[in-house]
Amino acid sequence: MTIKNALRDYGQRYRPRMACLRKAEKVLLEMQDPCAGVKSQPQRLVITIIPHAITGEDIIAWLADRFQIDPQEASSFGSMLVALGYIYPLQDHKRLVIKPDTSLYRFQTPYFWPTQQWPVEDTDYAIYLAKRNIRKKGILELHEQEQYNHLHKWMNHKWDFIVMQAKEQYRAAKERKKPDRVVFDCQERAYWVVHRPPVRKHSQKLPLNNFVEVFEHDLPRPWHSIFIGFKSKFELDYSKKSNFVWASFLSEPFTCRSKIVGENLAFWEGCEDLKWGTAVAMKEKAEQIYKTFLARGAPRWINIDGKTMEITVKGLKHPHRYVLDAAQTHIYMLMKKDSYGRYLKSPVFKETLKKAVNPEEHKFNEVQLEQNARNRRPSLSPIIIRQQEQEQRAKMAASAPVDITQVMSKLSKQGKEMGPRHSK
Amino acid sequence: MPLVNNKVGDDCTASGDKALADGRALVDSLIKVVACYRHLASCVGGCTDSLQLRDELRQTRERAQKLAGDICHHLTSHLRDKSLPEEQRKEMELLWVAFSSCLELLHVDMCKVLNMSGIFSLADSATLVHTGQEGGCSEVAARALSLPDLNEAQAKTLPASLESQERSTMELEVNQIDRMIDDMEMKVNVLRWMVEPHGPQYADPLSSTDSASMALISVDEEQQAPRSQPLCPRSHIFVLLLLFGVFLVAATLSVCVFLFS
Repeated sequence: MTIKNALRDYGQRYRPRMACLRKAEKVLLEMQDPCAGVKSQPQRLVITIIPHAITGEDIIAWLADRFQIDPQEASSFGSMLVALGYIYPLQDHKRLVIKPDTSLYRFQTPYFWPTQQWPVEDTDYAIYLAKRNIRKKGILELHEQEQYNHLHKWMNHKWDFIVMQAKEQYRAAKERKKPDRVVFDCQERAYWVVHRPPVRKHSQKLPLNNFVEVFEHDLPRPWHSIFIGFKSKFELDYSKKSNFVWASFLSEPFTCRSKIVGENLAFWEGCEDLKWGTAVAMKEKAEQIYKTFLARGAPRWINIDGKTMEITVKGLKHPHRYVLDAAQTHIYMLMKKDSYGRYLKSPVFKETLKKAVNPEEHKFNEVQLEQNARNRRPSLSPIIIRQQEQEQRAKMAASAPVDITQVMSKLSKQGKEMGPRHSK
Repeated sequence: MPLVNNKVGDDCTASGDKALADGRALVDSLIKVVACYRHLASCVGGCTDSLQLRDELRQTRERAQKLAGDICHHLTSHLRDKSLPEEQRKEMELLWVAFSSCLELLHVDMCKVLNMSGIFSLADSATLVHTGQEGGCSEVAARALSLPDLNEAQAKTLPASLESQERSTMELEVNQIDRMIDDMEMKVNVLRWMVEPHGPQYADPLSSTDSASMALISVDEEQQAPRSQPLCPRSHIFVLLLLFGVFLVAATLSVCVFLFS
């Protein structure tokens, strides 16, 4: 079991996700400024009043005003902040979107902000679920119940500690004033909705996928980099099963994986694909995985024990989403205890890490340099360009009767000169 | 700590039991302190962040470190003793697993607090996030330090100019915990996945009456969620029960006043 030093971050801070999160954090700090930020109001709960609640429509209006964008884009951006976990909804807490009405939201405390340096720990999740169960038995939802049982199975050795810690955290919470306790409960619940969302059993796309598509098509350039960062973070979270960083290697190019763990990782990916993919393709995928990894003489045969193999092969006769769960868990435990540890010590991994932390200088050839120079544009911020256009339009409107065709041709010529906007 | 190298069975088991009980008590205290530290850490960077909170964090951290040092010493010395009976060894290993998990939690929380206190300086209170909390966490800190009232232990508060000094101290402490974790792994080889816990899968509900905060959150959900549906009868019943309880208390008090006046 690896005990991680959070200060050794294996180069995570160099990843684009971190840049994306830093931008989001800056925006959030501006939003909660008491003078120039989103206006807040108190939330009334029976007899308790809790301050600093903000409405969805106010958030959207503020974003639209601050960045000079239209409400739809502001709504998308706001939803991204909610999906990342910087703002959480007070009603309908499972839907991580901004609603353009009087629905209430609140800022998340910095302790629960998403950050690359501290992966979301399963131990913490187990403690949280145990705490919720202590408060009122039977309050866990179905997917939480399943998770709880699953965690109890594979973290069984520290279960006494988990239950004790849950009890102590619960008792410590009782020392606080009731409104603060309610706020803390909401914060914690929101944190886990973001990081442990309920498993979707249908083949419909997750709302975040739709939202990501909207980003892809409708965004102007400045948000493109945020989208890239957000999408890759989203993929990372959904492919994560545990707290160690192996999932990051799933997004690495294939050449980085050593042979030792290659088959296991590929099998893992296949299982995740089956679990999260569409129902239509499920049977095909299951057959393909069987032929590639499990059948006798398969090209990428994985080494799982006889009993698990038997159960898996039997289940594949009537395949369903979770038919490969047992084999996947087996491979996961194998990797965690043995081969992944060896992989981390292997020269291949060390080489990859060195290249990631200190990447080699990219050697441009002359042709590329020329092309870059040609494509380079004067770097004016798009907001300033828009302002200049508006000023020009106002000037032309104010001046004496002009020939409209001349004006239109001049504007269209300018538009062509500008060309595609910079990407950051 | 010199061990009693006594071959007489009773004395040996008695001292072993005492060592086990001591170890258990220490680990329980550490778990309590770490739980309180987490609550305090969740307020850093929010609108309730203040010099007092930072001071409480520091005191809680110091207590946790002292306890951790004591437990480490106690458990290491007992687990390295080859004459420890098998049953007691198993119990010690269980304590060991609990202790190392606790230490990991503390380490992560300390790193988070270090990072956040760098980002959120108390000198610029406008950047503190409006999280909706209003009260402080003095009672939680008092619980961590096992004091009836925190005012007893409050040292002079940290002046703002010493924030940087506080940060460097915190960094040293984080590194110290880190080294402790590494040392533990080197000195004693406990196979964590082999220990068997005693406790049940589900903890018993501690108090059935205090579902107040959950009820408040659920009431809020039901208030807003379906505008088309009427308010859930459960929240009606809860409010009615509350009013009825208040009415009963008032009636009892007035009867008492009438009888004894």
